[in-house]
Amino acid sequence: MAKSSEESPSRRTFMMVVIGLISTVIGIALAVPILGVVLNPLFRKRDIVWTKLGKISDLNLKPLDPKFVPVYFRVKEGWSVNTLPRQVVVVKQVNGDLLFFSNQCTHLGCPLHWIPARQKFLCPCHGGMFNITGQVVGGPPPRPLYQWVHKFGKDKDTVYIQNKFKDNPKDRGI
Amino acid sequence: MFKQIQNWFDERIGLTKVIEEFNGERIPRRGGWAYTLGSVLAFLFTVQVVTGIFLLFYYVPYFPIARNATYFIKHHVIFGNILLGIHLWGAFTMIFIILIHMARVYFSGAYKKPREMQWIVGMVLFSVVVVLGLTGYMLVGNENSWWTINVLDNVASHTPFIGGFLRIIVKGGTETSVLTMQHIFAVHVWLLPIVVIMFIPIHLFLIRKTGHQGMALEYKNSKLSDDDEKKWQHPDGTVPFFPDQFYKDMIVALGVFAVVYILAVYVGAPIGPMYRPLALNFAPEADWYFLANEELLKYFPGHGLIIFSTFLVPSIGFAILFALPFIDRTKERSPFKRPAATVLGILFLLLLVYLTLIGGEPKAPATV
Repeated sequence: MAKSSEESPSRRTFMMVVIGLISTVIGIALAVPILGVVLNPLFRKRDIVWTKLGKISDLNLKPLDPKFVPVYFRVKEGWSVNTLPRQVVVVKQVNGDLLFFSNQCTHLGCPLHWIPARQKFLCPCHGGMFNITGQVVGGPPPRPLYQWVHKFGKDKDTVYIQNKFKDNPKDRGI
Repeated sequence: MFKQIQNWFDERIGLTKVIEEFNGERIPRRGGWAYTLGSVLAFLFTVQVVTGIFLLFYYVPYFPIARNATYFIKHHVIFGNILLGIHLWGAFTMIFIILIHMARVYFSGAYKKPREMQWIVGMVLFSVVVVLGLTGYMLVGNENSWWTINVLDNVASHTPFIGGFLRIIVKGGTETSVLTMQHIFAVHVWLLPIVVIMFIPIHLFLIRKTGHQGMALEYKNSKLSDDDEKKWQHPDGTVPFFPDQFYKDMIVALGVFAVVYILAVYVGAPIGPMYRPLALNFAPEADWYFLANEELLKYFPGHGLIIFSTFLVPSIGFAILFALPFIDRTKERSPFKRPAATVLGILFLLLLVYLTLIGGEPKAPATV
């Protein structure tokens, strides 16, 4: 019969090592799949799609008069394909250039609206303010407005938008 | 008959003795009412678990459906409004009483040696309960929930080094999606309640191990000096936990429960409108306990400073609270004999109240 731990100190040490090893093995064997499940979103590729916004000529754009145009991305998220409705703010500048902003505040993502009398985009949450070129003119936002990645169709009039912002290395927003 | 049943258990496991040992704990006598706060919290948590379990009979954690499921519970399920109301107002009351409980412990110096671990376990419980409140708020699936998820996710994204990863893990991707709701749901109904259920017994076990050591008031008749460790081992008078202290606990529990119930029936849980990702002007209203933090987000403008409001100030504040027993290591317990701690505590509470009040005001500048 094997000796009990009280009879032999080395036997006691051996038992403790075995208990520790078994706990470690079971712990690691469980932790690995759990970590995989929890960290899984980090290894997923984002589903990036092109979506038609519409024709610029239909918008009746005037300089310094932003138009809010909804765009509906069909995007795969997890196990389902969902519609993500988002606002595209189309701004025509004085020189005729077009800018496609998101109406998300770059501070913490609240929805912005345009105040014609002040010529500013205003965030209702923490008072962030942006001018018509998207630059921060007040409040806590750390960077200018996000711009959607966009392209023109063959007719140079139809615009396509991607569910992705320009100059946004950390993929914030959306 | 009852005696026979009792004997049956006693012969086998000595049940009466176990119960007597549990109930016979001696509790300091004078501060009896102040000591009911902890047990009323345990009571409220139990109510939260029970109501929460039965809300799950109808709730669906899926973004387009969640809000309507909650609406259905409130307006179409018999007494569903009461169950939902108790769950909401019970949560609010719980957070409010935790704050009073913490203030009581702080001002009476009850976190001092040998009770440091007691305070830390309590802080863990407090943090977890606040996150439970926030996640519960997100699960309603209404307009507030949608924008709060986005805002808090962006707050998380400003954590140094791991912010971007943290945000994606919590959200289950870069967009707020089905997975986001599912993650929040799992955290709210399983992960955090289990943490609370594990830490409450530790909190209780530590009280029994460290002994009374309560408020200075309990040791008025002691002739020993404050620096003497022995002084804090024998309060002037004690009473058994059952029924003397338990009786007070039950009276307070009834009072608190009545308030929660009346609020649940007559005020109820507001469901709010469906979420609209296309909104042009919407500011989510934080719950009252989060307003102070929310107010903080308006300060520290500009790149590079945003980290102060989203990460540094709240986390340093929390770290100081966590480490309190190790920062204040004097032996003095009476709030009148340690004016610095008392005054700082009052100032901190006033700051919290002030930030909460101005945080509750409408935030949007005039929209012309």
